[in-house]
Amino acid sequence: MVRRAPSWPRHAIMVVVSFLMLVPFYWVLKTSLTGENIYAYPPHVVPVDPHLFHYVDVWYLIPFPRYLLNSVIVTTMAICGNLLFNTAAGYALTKQFPGRRWVVLLFLSCMLIPFQATIIPAYLITSALGVLNSYLGIALPLLSTIICIFIFKASFEAVPRSLIDAARVDGLSEWRIIVRIMLPLSKSAIATNVILTFIWSWNAFLWPLIVIRTPEMQTLPLGLARFLSVMEDTTGALFAFVVMVLVPGLTIFLMAQKEFIRGLATGATKG
Amino acid sequence: MTWRRRLRHRFFIVPLALALLVGAWNLYIGLHDGGIIEGEVRDRAGAPVPGATVIFFERNFVYYQEKQRTTTDGTGTYRFTGMQVHVGQLEARTDDGRHSERRQLRLWFRAQDTEVAPLVVAGPRG
Repeated sequence: MVRRAPSWPRHAIMVVVSFLMLVPFYWVLKTSLTGENIYAYPPHVVPVDPHLFHYVDVWYLIPFPRYLLNSVIVTTMAICGNLLFNTAAGYALTKQFPGRRWVVLLFLSCMLIPFQATIIPAYLITSALGVLNSYLGIALPLLSTIICIFIFKASFEAVPRSLIDAARVDGLSEWRIIVRIMLPLSKSAIATNVILTFIWSWNAFLWPLIVIRTPEMQTLPLGLARFLSVMEDTTGALFAFVVMVLVPGLTIFLMAQKEFIRGLATGATKG
Repeated sequence: MTWRRRLRHRFFIVPLALALLVGAWNLYIGLHDGGIIEGEVRDRAGAPVPGATVIFFERNFVYYQEKQRTTTDGTGTYRFTGMQVHVGQLEARTDDGRHSERRQLRLWFRAQDTEVAPLVVAGPRG
């Protein structure tokens, strides 16, 4: 009979690692509630006189609702664009056509080039399209992402071929096969796409910084940078702002974490 | 997935709960945003102080300035109206040189109707 190793050492390590990962989040939350100077010594581990008024300050002293609206619009556009274009591209890559391998190779090689290296051509294209300082201009580079195309490709390849053939025999067009057959069977890939695009778009800083020219078009990360540069001695409000920027992303991730992890695992094993 | 399961799904429940919370909070704000700040001015013995001047200073990260002033009535009560602020300070002054400490006032939303604890005026030497 094989003796199983005790599980408590593994759990103890995981508890310690989780604690270390969560401490910065706790510190941000605690500082947002107390306004305690981050250089205060000795630091208070437990919040002293916590209150929520720093959040009220942030809401009224900067145009937070405007920044939030801009971020929501840009992120929604990026997510919709991602789902549309990545689905189409992922489905196309499951087909056999001349040059398919070259297309895949081109995609993979493009993933090696950092966005910062292509930012000037991206700016010139956006300018030529006349969408600088607009929601579409901010969302444009995130309307399709190569990683997500491969996540959809892996998910679509897991769908039995016979199912697609049966749908085609029943007279469904390619688009209807995607909408009626592929997407309902690829919920994990959709969730992964939504979460990844949300995180990338929500936290995007460099590209919005370049294409946005007016304060009323700024998104939350730019608002945070502006807040840092304009306000002084505002530790509590600054950390409250950080929490307010973080909360939507955390909420969406916590809601969809099961599908997110499943989608990434599918991509990892069948890509 | 049946519609009952869809209604119980977290993708429906969580946004719905958040929407209800935001709606309820905005409804509460709509019912309590008259911009009225009122309270009393008393002396150290607890007696009301009529005719005292109460000044509201708007104070935040950007500026610190007098926003509005008013005078207490015969019962020592003062009342500010139309105050579109969420943070500031209150101070009471009397003609004979007494004054209160500046009281920090923080509200949950702009123009919240508020009743402030009594401001206590005292002489220069307490």
